[in-house]
Amino acid sequence: MILSCNENLNEMNLITYITDPAGLQKFYEAVISTHATFAPVETFGKFDYKPVTSLSECDPGSPVPLTRSMKPLFFPKSAKIMKYVTTSEGTAVSDTVDDPLAGKRVILGVKHCDARALQVLDHVYKWDYLDTDYEKRRENTLLVSVRCDEAARHCFCTSLDWDVEHTDAVDVAVIKGLDGKVYIQARSEKGTLLLEQHPPGEDDTSGSSAEEIRKQYASFAGSFRLSMDYKTVSAKMKNSFDSPAFEEASSNCISCNTCAFVCPTCHCFKISDEKIRDEGVRYKSYDSCNNVYFTLMAGGHNPRLVKYRRWRQRAMHKFSYYKERFGVNLCVGCGKCTVSCPVNISIFEMVNQVADTIVTASQSCE
Amino acid sequence: MMDYTNQIQDIAGKLFSEGKIDVFIGYRNTGFDTNQVPALITHYKDVDQLVFNEKSDFNLTNYLKYEHTRNKRIGLVVKGCDSRALNLMLTENQINRDRLYIVGIACEGVVNELGGKAQNCLECIMPDAVVFDELLGNPTGKREYKINTDVSELTGKSLIERGILFEEVFENCIRCNACRHSCPLCYCAKCCIDQETSTLYHGANTTSGAFHALMTWSLHLAGRCVDCRNCEKACPSHLPLHLLHKQNEQVIYENFQQHLAGMIRDDRGAFYKYSLSDPDDFIM
Amino acid sequence: MNTKQITKQHDFTIHDMEQLLIPTLCKIDRIIQETPDIRTYRLKFKEESLMERFTWLPGQFVEFSLLGSGECTFCIASSATRKGYFDCSIKRAGVVTGDIHRDLDEGEEIGIRGPYGNWFPLEELKGKNLLFVGGGIGLAPLRSLIQYAIDNRNDYADFTILYGARTSADLCYKDEIKEWQDNKTLKVILTIDKPEDTWTTNVGVVPKILEEVVKPAIENTKVITCGPPIMIKYTILSLKKLGFADQDIITTLEMKMQCGLGKCGRCNIGSTYVCKDGPVFTNEQLQGLPDEF
Repeated sequence: MILSCNENLNEMNLITYITDPAGLQKFYEAVISTHATFAPVETFGKFDYKPVTSLSECDPGSPVPLTRSMKPLFFPKSAKIMKYVTTSEGTAVSDTVDDPLAGKRVILGVKHCDARALQVLDHVYKWDYLDTDYEKRRENTLLVSVRCDEAARHCFCTSLDWDVEHTDAVDVAVIKGLDGKVYIQARSEKGTLLLEQHPPGEDDTSGSSAEEIRKQYASFAGSFRLSMDYKTVSAKMKNSFDSPAFEEASSNCISCNTCAFVCPTCHCFKISDEKIRDEGVRYKSYDSCNNVYFTLMAGGHNPRLVKYRRWRQRAMHKFSYYKERFGVNLCVGCGKCTVSCPVNISIFEMVNQVADTIVTASQSCE
Repeated sequence: MMDYTNQIQDIAGKLFSEGKIDVFIGYRNTGFDTNQVPALITHYKDVDQLVFNEKSDFNLTNYLKYEHTRNKRIGLVVKGCDSRALNLMLTENQINRDRLYIVGIACEGVVNELGGKAQNCLECIMPDAVVFDELLGNPTGKREYKINTDVSELTGKSLIERGILFEEVFENCIRCNACRHSCPLCYCAKCCIDQETSTLYHGANTTSGAFHALMTWSLHLAGRCVDCRNCEKACPSHLPLHLLHKQNEQVIYENFQQHLAGMIRDDRGAFYKYSLSDPDDFIM
Repeated sequence: MNTKQITKQHDFTIHDMEQLLIPTLCKIDRIIQETPDIRTYRLKFKEESLMERFTWLPGQFVEFSLLGSGECTFCIASSATRKGYFDCSIKRAGVVTGDIHRDLDEGEEIGIRGPYGNWFPLEELKGKNLLFVGGGIGLAPLRSLIQYAIDNRNDYADFTILYGARTSADLCYKDEIKEWQDNKTLKVILTIDKPEDTWTTNVGVVPKILEEVVKPAIENTKVITCGPPIMIKYTILSLKKLGFADQDIITTLEMKMQCGLGKCGRCNIGSTYVCKDGPVFTNEQLQGLPDEF
């Protein structure tokens, strides 16, 4: 079937295949047997994206609240970036060429919010100086998603500035229709090629899938417990720097870094060296503006020593500064921060409290 | 099903109206979730946000570590394990007893997300608050010490099998530090793991770094951990941190005069006291 | 190997590895002990052809790696008009700088990434009177501009350098200051905080000497200042009192920077990245940033 190209994915005649759950499993198996594949694997009761060699090891339909983001496949918690050796002839510095994440791969069971997070991160990793490691990983990855059937407790992706229904952040979208059939849709050229390679079912020549896919989305969109008026909140956040609400809203935060580490869009890192005598390695690893020592400078000056200042930086960076700089919000509404927070702080609640769009927590949603 | 919401609201209200406290630390609902959030109430008008029931699990004594609560007069809700942590903080001179008004709970156990009782509650040795100004509920007294079932299973395995399990634990640690930040007994102003000069821990988030950090932390907590499971609930990787702490607790219980953290005020036990019946004939 | 840069106005950042965070090796040619805790390291690239290619504009900084210890941000304290080397002046203040002072000798190798950041607005400074106000180690970034302006002396009008430190021992670049004092086209005013037996000129903090001794006219003058945060704060207050406009006061910001590439997030204030939009800012631009530091 020829793809009729149109800028607006909305009206694009996307290649769509119709199959059933058994056909979907076969498709997954076919992909796993022909490509290096990552998928959600259960570890200690939650799901992480790990390399898999058979469908029995993983669950592409893993539950949203227990699935951690696939950020580590593009920006791992710790990456070696350099080695050096000092000998009597001097020092030699070298690239660490063995990047386990650089090869061509397919990721199954991607959530749309996570995929959107990569598009958001593209701005900061590609502006001015191009981060070649990240670019390579992005280029070599094909994302096969499973669109959520319903929103989890802390999700609010539909309230933000991205088009959840038609997003082109994924290459192949798997949608489980309300009619029991499974619709597999290509949303990019890479996706189209994969589906041509392993056609999962019947090609939809009649176009009937579009209606079923729309119905699934309508049911999904109606299942949200949280919603907010993003435009109002965003406009208010711009002028909220001096708001006293930050102090109250962050009073029970314990500054532990968890929210930033699990967030699919948080990208701050630290550079550190480790050495043994004359050899050493340089690492790049996760860091967070929530950390007390993030802005600590030599000599002792620390502008964000007080906790609410760090929370203010975090919330403002996500909902105001990044948008000002790059045009997109640095939060995709996935709710992973709230799920992981030891004291259940919700950034949704905090931002609304600061923007004064709710009066107390109990009014945020029924 | 325990529910002391009304009593706690009354107590907090009275304390504020009599001007006896600056902040009351308790729990409140988030309004859009069944989980509860620690609440630091500073005004009389917010007292009706407070709740207390079997979902109130977070150990609130964690908030006594921070600079912004230390110099204030504090009202606090503590269950059995929480109060043991508080007792130990008092023993170790971390907080002044005069500035606290402690509402103790004779706890019946907290539930996890699926509604079942948490493991540490099933094995609880002291459900009643050991230090309080006022006690809510019916105290049932100290229970018999039980060895943690997961630790029994672990000690039955060979060293190699244990090594494989812990290797997976350390590999999955993302060094977010949620465990240390949510543990009440980790109150050092600057943890050794966060020192700039300590590249052993501070550097990259590697598996060996996680090994050193978690082992050091568990040894610093040996004989001091009260099994509140703040750390395990906080961990985003769902690591079974209780395997480290409960094993240390068992070793200390069996070898150092059945010492359990925080049961007796001023008893620091284990590594901080020498007794003629200690297993070795020299200090260490 | 290739560099991967897009849309940068100047194209001279040295990257001889594909990974942007890997430094290029330099040898320490000379170490000059300026004060008890400040040393200037004169650096040359290990590979000579790189030294010829390496160029920068005053105000830019580099990321200096003591391999195995860590990486720090230092401004380049000399001008590219003086070829064959570049200087970094380093004050012993923390862990890595402590290691640098303790472990590095002449001839040893370190890593450099850069140059990064923006530079002093040279076009806007042309034809103007330049007033440099420096304190302590803050003279280092200014020195790069001073040397550049001396080497292009005809492009600028009057020159005044006001420089102060806590004690006379803490004045940096003592030999070069003598050269400047001997240069008839410049005016140099020095000051120290407290009186000393052999000190015959000004005594007082820099903002005080600025108001009472220098008494600069605001006409056709641009002020470039750098020093400890407290000195910059009071200097700017004095300058405003004297009538200077915000866009005529230029400073270079000391904020913790790490990657220099606008990616690690450490230097982010508001929607600004100090390593990309700075570290050189006018006071007008500073007013637009959130009041965080």
